[in-house]
Amino acid sequence: MNELLGFLSKHSKWFVFTFFVVISCVLLFKSDPYRQHVYITSAGRMATSIYKGANNITSYFNLHEINTDLNRRNSELQAEIARLQEQLLRVDESRFTDTLKLDSGVHPFNFIVAHVINNSISRPFNYITIDKGSNDSIKPEFGVIDRNGVVGIVSNVGPNSARVISLLNPNLRLSCKIKRSEYFGSLIWDGVNPEEANLEELPRHTVFEVGDTIVTSGYSAVFPAGLPVGIVLGNSTDKTRDLFTLRIRLLADFTTLGNVQVVKNNRAEELKALQAGEENDSKKKTFGN
Amino acid sequence: MAKLFIRYALWFLLLIPAQAIVFNHAILFNVAVPLVFLYLIVSLPVTINTNLSTLFGFIVGFVLDIFCDTPGVNALCCTVLAFIRKPIFHLYVSFDDDLAGRVPSTQSMVQTTYMKYLLTMAAIYCTMLFMVEAFQLSNFKLMTFRIIASTIYTFILIYALNLVTHGRHEQH
Repeated sequence: MNELLGFLSKHSKWFVFTFFVVISCVLLFKSDPYRQHVYITSAGRMATSIYKGANNITSYFNLHEINTDLNRRNSELQAEIARLQEQLLRVDESRFTDTLKLDSGVHPFNFIVAHVINNSISRPFNYITIDKGSNDSIKPEFGVIDRNGVVGIVSNVGPNSARVISLLNPNLRLSCKIKRSEYFGSLIWDGVNPEEANLEELPRHTVFEVGDTIVTSGYSAVFPAGLPVGIVLGNSTDKTRDLFTLRIRLLADFTTLGNVQVVKNNRAEELKALQAGEENDSKKKTFGN
Repeated sequence: MAKLFIRYALWFLLLIPAQAIVFNHAILFNVAVPLVFLYLIVSLPVTINTNLSTLFGFIVGFVLDIFCDTPGVNALCCTVLAFIRKPIFHLYVSFDDDLAGRVPSTQSMVQTTYMKYLLTMAAIYCTMLFMVEAFQLSNFKLMTFRIIASTIYTFILIYALNLVTHGRHEQH
């Protein structure tokens, strides 16, 4: 107690000084709204900086717990991303099926959804690789379409992947027709622009207009009739005099190919057998003659 | 001691109203304010207890604030000035014994020493006063000008007052 009193009396001048300064400050800040405002904001700022400094120091002590928590949340979010990606894929597939308008002739056809895993557009002969193969009952000469239009035809099939001859390949000739007038010709890529192709072998008297839709003719077992392929841009000259060529803008965007559908024709075998029978008959007739 | 108390009481009764009524309005060039009442604090005996001088400083400032309607401004500055008066005095005078009398004045101290002491006290007070009054540093140039001008003005008036009341120090 004596020590305390001794301490107080020794430093009494500081206590007295602080006491009067506090009284003066109270008078000062109470009397003037401006000073009061400055005091409040300054005090708040000072308190904030003190808390911030203290928090900067103490936050290091909790780092282990925060790390553990973050790791846990990270794994949860990764699982969530994987789940959502899967859902997105399903949505894409369903939208893909919904948006593709097909004529009534498509009923004998089944569609197998596949994803493009390799694609080229800049080579002279372009090919596409998809992630479905013979295990998914895909066979050569099955057509491939995306939500906008025709993409190509399956050429080689592996167990879990397949190679598709792209429409951007001069080796592929696709039988197409002008939707409005039913005149048909062969669509072939000239190797110049990945967005455009030529519809060749059209008769001279073909009626068309710029903007007409080009669709598959349905004259082969690969694609059903009426699948959109492109839009007429204009006509261009042909080497032969009796036939002429149309310039077509392709509907399928080969630069952003993602999901595609493989067209499976359930009657392909039947048609092949029939065509083979017709050929045999004609040969027999020829030999008979 | 009683004589000293009465003397200070009289000075108090004279200088505080004079400051409020006369000196506060005797502003030079719109910047220099004479703070003659500082004579009360400057002239406190050096040997006086610091607690007592702090209390006295607070009372001087508080009463002046009542007259001037500036609550807390002078009270705060006078309290601080009265508290630091002794250390400032010892910046120029090493020991209390060096002082011929008990009160710092032109009579009891060497002229230059007293002038330095008075100038320091006036400068500190003016700096505190104008900073507390403005409470911002937006017009720092003008504030500095006011501090310097008021310090000089105050210094001259208090020094003159001291010469009148105490006379000059006799050099030995």
